[in-house]
Amino acid sequence: MKHLIYLTSLLLFIACKQNKSLPILGERSLTSRVVNGETLIDTVYATVPTFSLLNQDADTVTESLVKGKIYVADFFFTSCPTICPIMKREMLRVYEKIKGDPSFVLLSHTIDPAFDSIPLLKDYANRLGSDGKQWQFLTGDREQIYELAEKGYYATAMPDSTEPGGYIHSGGFILVDPKSRVRGIYNGTDSKEVDQLMEDLFILKSEIQ
Amino acid sequence: MRRALYMFMVCILFSCSDAELVSMQQINNGAKLYETHCSNCHQADGSGLALLIPPLKQSDYLVQNANDLPCIIKKGIQGEISVNGNLYNQKMPANEKLSEKDIMDICLFVLQKFPEKPILMPADSIEKCLHHCLANSH
Repeated sequence: MKHLIYLTSLLLFIACKQNKSLPILGERSLTSRVVNGETLIDTVYATVPTFSLLNQDADTVTESLVKGKIYVADFFFTSCPTICPIMKREMLRVYEKIKGDPSFVLLSHTIDPAFDSIPLLKDYANRLGSDGKQWQFLTGDREQIYELAEKGYYATAMPDSTEPGGYIHSGGFILVDPKSRVRGIYNGTDSKEVDQLMEDLFILKSEIQ
Repeated sequence: MRRALYMFMVCILFSCSDAELVSMQQINNGAKLYETHCSNCHQADGSGLALLIPPLKQSDYLVQNANDLPCIIKKGIQGEISVNGNLYNQKMPANEKLSEKDIMDICLFVLQKFPEKPILMPADSIEKCLHHCLANSH
């Protein structure tokens, strides 16, 4: 009998492991619609708002680039002396993992567009070893980037003269699914959390297949 | 047996000169300071970051410019430099808040840890470099 209980728990454990699914973050609301005289209730999830930014090659990048793709977003600036180099080391690991797989894209947004010109971003991308396609470096209107960070990705990004480098920002890596819904936020300075992110990328991939 | 052990330890203690003991403490302090002030960019193992931030580990630049290290830490560095055959051009920020002693300890640690053969830099030459560096900037 005891053995049976052990076995069942083990089976349950394995079953749960395989069915791990990621939460959908953000506020949600309900809408109702009438189909064939029946009222159906749908859940509407928060999504990343539309955006229009420029990448390191001065090409316009909008939400259409990531439509139907799984992507990771982060916020940084090239002259950042604090957490950015660690975040970039970690993002480089993610990049190595997903390189060549068209399901995935990485978007790094500068929060210092006044200093981080397009040629500077291009140089930064090259030096990190990015191909500029699967891992893009984005700039644009400062307010738009801050708003996108805060409302779209639940990240902090703002100038702060008391901080080294002049900006305060969160070191989060934000995982977004093909329907533009945020599915996870990971500390981009913590290797263990980034390991988790790399696992979750593939959980999300199996979800859409 | 225990007495022999004590004797042995005392011998070890005295076999290191005072200067060596002091420098061990300094290197340990330097290691802590390195973690706080340097490792974000140069990484804990001194490997740097791709072609953005130069390595310290087995860096030819570090060996060739060991005498300028205190000044580089204090004032930062700007402009292109060649390290192990690669060109780097990321600005390194100044560390004006670090005390002379802390800079000295970081130098001792970095020069002990990262070159292929540890570089022993006498304390007075670090001091001289710092004074020279401050005099030049005013």
